[in-house]
Amino acid sequence: MSHMHIPDGVLPVWIVTAGWIATAIILSFSIRRVGGIDLKRKIPLIGIISALMIVGMTLEIVPIAYHINLTVLAGIVLGPALAFIAVFIVDLLISMFGHGGVTVVGLNTIIIGAEAVLGYYLFQLFREVMRNKSIFWESTLAALLSLFLSTSIMLGVVYASHVSPEKIEDIKHLVSGTGGGTGEMQTREDGINFPRFAKAVFILCPLGWILESVITGLVVKYVFRVRPDLILPQQA
Amino acid sequence: MDVSAIDYYANHGTSFLHGARAVSKILFASLVIASVVISGSFYLLLAVYLSLLALVFWTRLPVLKIVTIAAYPAIFAVIFAAASWNGSFVSAGVIVLKALCAALAMVILIVTTPYPDVFSSIGPVLPRIVTEGLFLTYRSLFILLELTDNLIKGLRVRGGLTHGKYIKNVVNFSSGIGLLLVRGLDLSEKFYGVLNIRGYGGRISGGGRRDKTGVNDFTALAIGALIFGAAILTARDGGLPTYDVYILALSVSVLIVSAAYALFQKTGGKAWKR
Repeated sequence: MSHMHIPDGVLPVWIVTAGWIATAIILSFSIRRVGGIDLKRKIPLIGIISALMIVGMTLEIVPIAYHINLTVLAGIVLGPALAFIAVFIVDLLISMFGHGGVTVVGLNTIIIGAEAVLGYYLFQLFREVMRNKSIFWESTLAALLSLFLSTSIMLGVVYASHVSPEKIEDIKHLVSGTGGGTGEMQTREDGINFPRFAKAVFILCPLGWILESVITGLVVKYVFRVRPDLILPQQA
Repeated sequence: MDVSAIDYYANHGTSFLHGARAVSKILFASLVIASVVISGSFYLLLAVYLSLLALVFWTRLPVLKIVTIAAYPAIFAVIFAAASWNGSFVSAGVIVLKALCAALAMVILIVTTPYPDVFSSIGPVLPRIVTEGLFLTYRSLFILLELTDNLIKGLRVRGGLTHGKYIKNVVNFSSGIGLLLVRGLDLSEKFYGVLNIRGYGGRISGGGRRDKTGVNDFTALAIGALIFGAAILTARDGGLPTYDVYILALSVSVLIVSAAYALFQKTGGKAWKR
């Protein structure tokens, strides 16, 4: 679960803007990439996968307060380009319900989109390496690794968000002895204790990752049995 | 996220906000969010939240339900505030209020505007595939929510979700999600096919019934502009604490008047009871 539930106005403007710019670039690249395929068949699939991700987010696993995202499933079924578009749609929609800030939609799309894209490529890699007929283990391992990597990206964003350009400038001033706002240094000291935050994330999240990976593996296994064309279109 | 209730409120409301165009309300929500982003004043954010709360009364919709929907991000804001705790309750309050204000502005937008209107308004700035995807996702969401409800009932009745058998439950639940995907896709493909037969070409028809800009639009925009102006005023030169108190007092007054209106004016207290 790497979705950032950070409210609007908390992260520095530069990182929020960078998130939107990066999302716009990847989104336009993804749209250009899917330009050649038959969208009439794919758009209903984008709609249903995006809706499934939102439904997954509403189903909370009570004892550990974890909600599944099903992004790796989206990556496997839709492919990297369409999955990224679907993730953007999901983030835009859920931000309208107040689930995560509107301004952080760009950053959330990057993080969750990375989860979907990595999930697709890792699934293809594990399928080549393992060649298991049920494809349960390939999808489970792909989901587990993708969740770990996307959570690391999320931590990277949180870390970067506390090193804003003004603060870097502040450090430069202090190092060069030209003065600078000591108040801003205080702000940095008052910020999130990053090592403690990272430790908490890596201690609490693995249980959720395992659960989501197993669910992804079982869903992929079921869909492959019923509609193999959705998982491996080239074999259908 | 009670999507069905939100959809019902958006389509059946009669307030001045329901009468305003989607573009005006999107601009209103954007101005409030911009205010939340630029403001770091606890009192101003509290005043903005109270003003938005007053606006919820004016929508004549179930106040508690809407406030509850918009309070969801506060849970995560509290966690974030705790993680960045510096010993000041005011700093923590600012983080929580930012989350509450932005979420309430968005929820006011979606409970007073049907989704097709929102999508058709933001459509021109989005690629066609995204606009179509938004529309079909929203439509599929209702299909899936109904299927999910039936699935969970079916699983419970047939012993698919049994207390104590956790591994079996996970396997059955996952197969259920797979089934949802396959069945939902069939229904969504049929729906898209019907849309295409009817001449759907990627443009969502929405907002046609309120083409002209009227007094409702100006009211929504004026409220947004007032909030944004107050945020700029207090953010300028490191903040003007004197104004904070006046703005807070004004918002409390507006809230009291709005609550009184909802309680006694024609509704006979029904709005509050709901």
